[in-house]
Amino acid sequence: MAIAATYHDGQVAHPADVHCRFEGAGTNGRIVLLDPASGKERGSWRMSETRALPGTRHELRLAHETGRAGERLVFKGRDVADDARKRLPFLSQRQRRERGKQFRVLALATGALASVILIYLYGVPLLSNQIVTLIPADAETRLGDAVVEQVAEALAEQGGLEICDTDPQSLANQAISRFAEAAVEGTGTPFRPNVQVVRNSIPNAFALPGGRAYYFSGLLEITESPDEFAGVLAHELGHVVHRHGMQSIISTAGSGLLVGFVLGDVTGISVAAAVGSALINSGFSRDSERQADAFAASAAQRIGFRPSAFAELLARISDDDSFSRAMALLSTHPLNAERQQALQNLDPDNAGLPPAFSVDEWQAIKAMCADTKPPKTKSTPARS
Amino acid sequence: MDRTQTAAIEPQVATASFTGHRWGLLGVLLPGYFLILVTLGIYRFWQVTDKRRYYWSHTAIDGDALEYSGTATQLLVGFLIALVFFLPLYVLFFYLSTQTPEYALYGYLAAAVFLYFLAGFASFRARRFRLTRTFWRGIRFGQSGNAWLYALIRFLWTLLVIATLGLAYPFMSASLWRYRYRHTWYGDRQFGFTGSWRTVAAPFYIDYLILVICVGAAALLVAQAGDPDAAVGFGALLSVPILIVAGLVFVHLKSRFTSRFLSSVTAGKSKLQVHIKARSLIWMYLFYALLFSIVSGLFVAIVMWFFSGIMEPLFAQQELDLSQVAQLGWANVAGLGLIYLALLAAYGALAETVIGLGYWRMVVRSTRIENAEDLKSARAQGNESPLAGEGLADALNVGAY
Repeated sequence: MAIAATYHDGQVAHPADVHCRFEGAGTNGRIVLLDPASGKERGSWRMSETRALPGTRHELRLAHETGRAGERLVFKGRDVADDARKRLPFLSQRQRRERGKQFRVLALATGALASVILIYLYGVPLLSNQIVTLIPADAETRLGDAVVEQVAEALAEQGGLEICDTDPQSLANQAISRFAEAAVEGTGTPFRPNVQVVRNSIPNAFALPGGRAYYFSGLLEITESPDEFAGVLAHELGHVVHRHGMQSIISTAGSGLLVGFVLGDVTGISVAAAVGSALINSGFSRDSERQADAFAASAAQRIGFRPSAFAELLARISDDDSFSRAMALLSTHPLNAERQQALQNLDPDNAGLPPAFSVDEWQAIKAMCADTKPPKTKSTPARS
Repeated sequence: MDRTQTAAIEPQVATASFTGHRWGLLGVLLPGYFLILVTLGIYRFWQVTDKRRYYWSHTAIDGDALEYSGTATQLLVGFLIALVFFLPLYVLFFYLSTQTPEYALYGYLAAAVFLYFLAGFASFRARRFRLTRTFWRGIRFGQSGNAWLYALIRFLWTLLVIATLGLAYPFMSASLWRYRYRHTWYGDRQFGFTGSWRTVAAPFYIDYLILVICVGAAALLVAQAGDPDAAVGFGALLSVPILIVAGLVFVHLKSRFTSRFLSSVTAGKSKLQVHIKARSLIWMYLFYALLFSIVSGLFVAIVMWFFSGIMEPLFAQQELDLSQVAQLGWANVAGLGLIYLALLAAYGALAETVIGLGYWRMVVRSTRIENAEDLKSARAQGNESPLAGEGLADALNVGAY
């Protein structure tokens, strides 16, 4: 019994009506195409060379694998299509096989992407460490100069990066540079540390690529001892020596690319891309923090201060009821019990060394930004 | 009517039909979104392929359905190739981000111009990819022409359109349609385009004038308001009717341009006739706006319900710092991420089922082909090209359907 179908020969766009006779079943069977008027054979397809194409339920569309690219046999109408499907049971097998193949490609691609992500998450901290050594120091310094401008612009509302005491020969500035140079001594860093106390109400401190470090007057106000001040500075100088700023720029660029790949948005403008990169990089920055802490501890072998005072400062800020004030420093320097303990364990026995800052120097530092806005002194010693 | 007369005319005009519907397409899209999540995004190439198969296979011209023969693997490979192409561009973006703000701004601007130029190239290539993977009656469509040339023509026209404050737009549009269709093939049958700027001049310049008059009148009213505070409030109030007028103008022009330009397309001796009503488009967009607000409202309610306590500290600050999302804890971040992705999926599905499908259906159902018999003598010609494709268009997000 023959079934009516439409035949496209893949050569001319003239559809032909044919009757299909199914001879045999399985892979040895044939579909014979007959002219409906004369009953003459127009051709025959081996069932093993026949493939069903994706389409609607109302149509069964067959392709001839050894035939022309567009050669098709189309069974139109739900009943006719179902009838033909019933007579060609191997089609669904082949479709399943094809689906299995697609699944394998998909699984392979997903696996490849997942491994790229894993390699990235664990490899980038190591890799950016290596890449950073390839970047010449003066290039990093130039980059730092550009970043300063961007940061100043971003922080303009809270006061920008206006230097409190512009005289490099002042007691406070000299004490700070002496400390900075002593801290990086013997590390072989190509950068000259350049620490500035700037007038900005945010309680924060950070280091930039190329040796610059900034201590905000907002943080200085709540810094209660020279140990805390030295602890923060040494920590930031640790970032400078380890070139963490540069590393984080490299890893941010890398994670932006990765997230862009996952989301298909290579230009990386979307919010999701930004959040994704931030999450990846926050994991990376925890390692940097540990390294900077260790650096502060090694500096304390030579200079008289307690690195753990930094943790005390952080802990005090996090107890502060003003949430937004605490966020600035904490978000860049996440503190947890584990880290606090680690910092305390790092404290060397350096009681014999002279203190990092003398009483006079510390008073001068505290007063650096006081000319317009007197600092709120809580526990600082009374001044003469 | 005389029977013989109808018989003489009727067989000459072929129609097109679309048997797909919103729920059917949604059934293709939704599992796709889930799999996209599971496969870290890779499944999107399969989803696009499934979507196209749905559109193509439910569209029949003169009783014979279209067939999409492209595969997801081709799209995946195309994307990987585009990625290689994009790497230098990405490095450039990265370099710019490290420069001083002023310098970076010029850099970004230059990059944006370059990307606009590239979008023309990508959309033409993507069109070739889709055409050479479209079969009708066993014959493959095709596209000749040069994608770089197309991108250049589009770019230069854009400059002229900007210089003339939009007045040159009908010229640009006609020129690009002409280039596209004169390089479109059905087998060995070349398409043609009989339209010109005059085809759309009347609706375009009338609508342009209406918009200019509205904006001018509003500007005059605001100028007369006197004190600056009142002027600002007045201007804000007037911007609402202006936006409505602009929206209506946009929809009207979209319907006119599509109808008239598509009706200027020929293939051999046969000729397309398409008519889309602006009214139908307006209803479609209003329906979309309604569903869009419902979906958005639902999501806002969900976020408020589950996350109000957790999100507060984030918004307590004056500036929202995205890096602080990390402080919320992994479970909450994952929850927020999932909600965000679900929202993206919902918006995507909504736009596709209401606007994508609605527009496609409108065009297909209003299509008439005069002298369709002539197409039956078209012979097969050409092959799949480009072999792996659309990557650039995918990456630049310029592909349609």
